[in-house]
Amino acid sequence: MNEERYILFDQYLQSEMTAAEKTDFEKQLAEDSEFAAEFETFKAVELQLQNKFGFEAEREAFKENLDQIAEKHFNKEKPKVVLMRPWYLAAAASVVLLFGLFFFDYNQNPSFHDYNHPGQAHFTERSTTDMHLLQAEKAFNSRKFKEAILFFEMALKDNKTPEVQYYYGVSLLETSEYQKGEAVFNELKASSPIYKDKALWNLALMKLKQKDYKSCKQILQTISQDYEDYDEVQELLDALD
Amino acid sequence: MGNNKIHPDQMYIEGLAANDSAIIQSIYKKFVPKVVFFVMNNSGDKEQAQDIVQEVMILLFNQAKTNTLKLTCPFDAYFFLLCKRKWLNEFKKTSNKGVTIHEDIVSMNESALDLIGQTEEFDEKQQLFDSMFQKLGEKCQELLKLSFSIKSMEEVAEKLNVTYGYVRKKKSLCVGQLTQWIQEAKNFNSLKNN
Repeated sequence: MNEERYILFDQYLQSEMTAAEKTDFEKQLAEDSEFAAEFETFKAVELQLQNKFGFEAEREAFKENLDQIAEKHFNKEKPKVVLMRPWYLAAAASVVLLFGLFFFDYNQNPSFHDYNHPGQAHFTERSTTDMHLLQAEKAFNSRKFKEAILFFEMALKDNKTPEVQYYYGVSLLETSEYQKGEAVFNELKASSPIYKDKALWNLALMKLKQKDYKSCKQILQTISQDYEDYDEVQELLDALD
Repeated sequence: MGNNKIHPDQMYIEGLAANDSAIIQSIYKKFVPKVVFFVMNNSGDKEQAQDIVQEVMILLFNQAKTNTLKLTCPFDAYFFLLCKRKWLNEFKKTSNKGVTIHEDIVSMNESALDLIGQTEEFDEKQQLFDSMFQKLGEKCQELLKLSFSIKSMEEVAEKLNVTYGYVRKKKSLCVGQLTQWIQEAKNFNSLKNN
């Protein structure tokens, strides 16, 4: 190693040379390319050292900050996977089972109440003057079905429309008068194309209410897919499977 | 490069140099997902992507600190290509499969490629320097570390309990040793390239 040379480089860079020494040094730089190249490298090394140690505290702070931000960023994207030991799994499973025993409804069959939407009757909108019908509607809409049945029966004597028949049938369904109800809906199904699917749906609900799931399913399968509430038909069919 | 305009995205470089958390977070939010996607689609996993990103961030911090990093293209393209090339090089090293780096030269403007070249050169020089520094004796390493973090050579002498003349001479020689090794590596490389 050319020790003299490096000491000279350092003296020059620290401006510790006399004017004469400086002139000599610069002359050598200009004439000796190998000398000049080594001087350039020496300066580059000092710069590297400057970068490496001059900003060390700042670099450490930067790295620490970077770690935190990266951790946050990557963990938000990727939820940590917790390794489950078999006995944890067993414990978890038994807890689930216990809850199941307490809260699970063993009756897997769909219930009538889930599908029972008697709706609202609106005869009065059509300027009905029939007193019986008005009373029937009032009773029906306040869910007094037994009362409604009496008024519907009177109203039907003078005014037998499919609409009145339909709400009469629904009232019979709600009060579990199955035989009468089935007769009403079967008649409606045959006489009124508009009420056909509605009648079938209510016939199915009647079977459901009686827990006759097989007949319920059979009736449901005859309902046209164009029926406005076919979603519910499908749902009940799925639940029956 | 002097005639090239500094891109407004220079703010990301300044933010890294200043250790500005908001800027670092926005880099992660805006530019990192693309890198993760690339690494994961090229035989890597999320942890490896995270490492690559961190390496490049530290590299940019280091270069920014020397005030030689002037962004003349969008940060997006610059950052992504740096990460991409770093990953492909890493992958080449660990697996013995040959990987060809397909450059998106068509989609990159000249100043971006130029800038990436500069950053990679900075990276290589730094790595070469670090490996040389590790070869130095313990005493040299300690003295250089103190000399360049404290700056006053009188203080360094006091700390090491030696004379001022000794530390001055020793410092010149330690820097000289590094200079010699690096010069040799340079000469070797130019021989190899010619």
